[in-house]
Amino acid sequence: MMNNEHYRELGGREFRDHCISLCRSGFTLRLMFATDERENEGCFKIYVVFSETGKDSFQIPFLKLKGDDLSYHGLTPDIPAVHWYEREIHDMFGLTPEGHPDLRRLVFHDSFPGDSYPLRKDWKISEAELREWGEGLVRKEPYHFMEVKGEGVYEIPVGPVHAGIIEPGHFRFSAVGETIFFLEPRLFYTHKGTEKLFEGFGFSEGVRLAERVSGTSSFSHGTAYCMAVERMSGTDIPEKAKAIRTLLLELERLYNHVGDIGNMCAGTGLAVGYAAGALIKEKLMQLNERVSGSRYLRGVNVIGGVTKDIFQYADDILTTLETATGDYKAFMKLLLGAISHVERLENAGQLSREIAMKLGVTGVAARASGVNDDIRKAHPHLLYDRLEFEPHTTTRGDVFARMMVRAEEAECSISMIHALLERNYGRELAAEVKDVSPHACALGYTESPRGSLFYWVKSDAEGRPLRVKLRSPSYCNWPAVPFAVHGNIVPDFPLCNKSFNLSYSGCDM
Amino acid sequence: MIKEILKNITGKKQAIRFPGGSAVSPEDAAKIPALQEGMGKVFRRSLRIRQVDGGSCNACEWECTALTNPVYDVERFGIGFVASPRHADALLVTGPVSRQMELALRKTYLATPEPRLVIALGDCAVDGGIYKGSYAVTDGVANVIPVDCFIPGCPPSPAEIIAGVLRLLEELARRK
Ligand code: SF4
Repeated sequence: MMNNEHYRELGGREFRDHCISLCRSGFTLRLMFATDERENEGCFKIYVVFSETGKDSFQIPFLKLKGDDLSYHGLTPDIPAVHWYEREIHDMFGLTPEGHPDLRRLVFHDSFPGDSYPLRKDWKISEAELREWGEGLVRKEPYHFMEVKGEGVYEIPVGPVHAGIIEPGHFRFSAVGETIFFLEPRLFYTHKGTEKLFEGFGFSEGVRLAERVSGTSSFSHGTAYCMAVERMSGTDIPEKAKAIRTLLLELERLYNHVGDIGNMCAGTGLAVGYAAGALIKEKLMQLNERVSGSRYLRGVNVIGGVTKDIFQYADDILTTLETATGDYKAFMKLLLGAISHVERLENAGQLSREIAMKLGVTGVAARASGVNDDIRKAHPHLLYDRLEFEPHTTTRGDVFARMMVRAEEAECSISMIHALLERNYGRELAAEVKDVSPHACALGYTESPRGSLFYWVKSDAEGRPLRVKLRSPSYCNWPAVPFAVHGNIVPDFPLCNKSFNLSYSGCDM
Repeated sequence: MIKEILKNITGKKQAIRFPGGSAVSPEDAAKIPALQEGMGKVFRRSLRIRQVDGGSCNACEWECTALTNPVYDVERFGIGFVASPRHADALLVTGPVSRQMELALRKTYLATPEPRLVIALGDCAVDGGIYKGSYAVTDGVANVIPVDCFIPGCPPSPAEIIAGVLRLLEELARRK
């Protein structure tokens, strides 16, 4: 296994300048996170991970924060894509990015105590504080929504409990007539302390938790997490396990994309399209259950490989895919022929390439706005270097574009599954897992149905988890939604939102 | 077409077929017509549910959504999902109830007219599931509002959810 992670320690100013210059020379920002390593090294560390353009390599500059001065030169003014990361690090570790234009709390809501940083190793919280946090009656650190003033501007607050069967989040629209002038989402209602929880689990138990971070990306999360731990311990997984993971990643993408396209019909009121999409998705989920024992492909991944030989169901997969492909073609024909549907999608929720780049948008949303980025190509892993495919991009940037990118990728997934099933890969399902050495760290990543997904793990002196950082694609894409809906009418918001189909649970951690 | 519809109206045959390999046993599925009877007695053929996400991973919600797809189509039993707690007979709560959702869940509960039922759906909702013990969750719906019925599973499949609702109906019929 080639190591493609290049760590480099830099001091305060240098760190900032280096990050800015990487960004200027076209490197892609992937994630930023902090660790509390006071016990061993007497410092906090802040890492930023960049992908080198056109090369399978990660540049990872990091900064040490020692002593009492827990602030650093913020990067946000120069690299807008880190604006959430810096706020999150501020919430979780109490490290202050100087010069950040908006340091309101991101993760924690008003009733969470100030000066309380859960990811610090010595963090404690009293029962009473926890109770008050849940009751939500005392506003300890009030959050101020941005206000739009002017004639005819009014606010529409929506959520966290919505009308449909969806996840919770609060949206505050400032509208002029029917038109959305400004939208401020307030998320993190589903914050479950997942990263802290990982630290209490062992590395191998962590797989179950990773699979439960975001329901419809269960397999991607499991894979990225396992990959991180495997890379950290220097475990090479067998060919067969790679093939099975690749196959299931594509099955996951397929059921998600088909389901998402169907769900967009709910946004335009095309009931027949919605039902048709749901039906194909259901068939694919039943296939998931038959081959893996779980409709969400859970329980297959383990550190070192997989537990089940999915290839023994090759016939079932092929026949199901055959009918699904037929249904899917008819379904797309139906949608593209429904003028009332297509008209609503065209030009709605436009996200420009420039904003997508600046905010570090990922996945379908990025590719639909002309950003050619796909982890499967940028950092080939598993068997992706042997499969033929091209990332699908278009420059339209609207809801229609996001639907079409999904449609093309779904077809591409089907052909990849066929290609995978054609070959033989030996019999071994899992490698023996080597012990995790102390103070080791590594990245794990994959392209989930929603976009790039990262895990970073580090072990402590005993080889147990010191830090597990997870970065879901939704975390990158949420900040882009307000830009996409600006100028649209309020009734089109659900449609725009569905076209991004972001996970709240994955984002809120 | 008209013929088909007429046949469906007059025919006694139940249009219930669960996917092979589903975790619910055939006996459970055979009990489904009883669900319809129970529905008739207890809820006058209509049970309106408001789904509330208490910080789930979202798989539990997707299984609820699947209940409305053409395969399970729970509308045919009179079960439907409504947009507001004020229209609901029952709350179907998923997730371990994150602390940041606790207040919203309480408010939703208070907005639901009495008599109201609460169903806790999924391992997380039962006792916190995998998230049990985390600082940011309350370890289950019952720690926030009173619960009438637990449906475990991670996530429970659509067929299991239907079977769970059936159990609740039986229980209610007995209580009556
Ligand atoms: S019970 Fe399982 S599927 Fe349901 S919310 Fe919890 S982790 Fe997700």
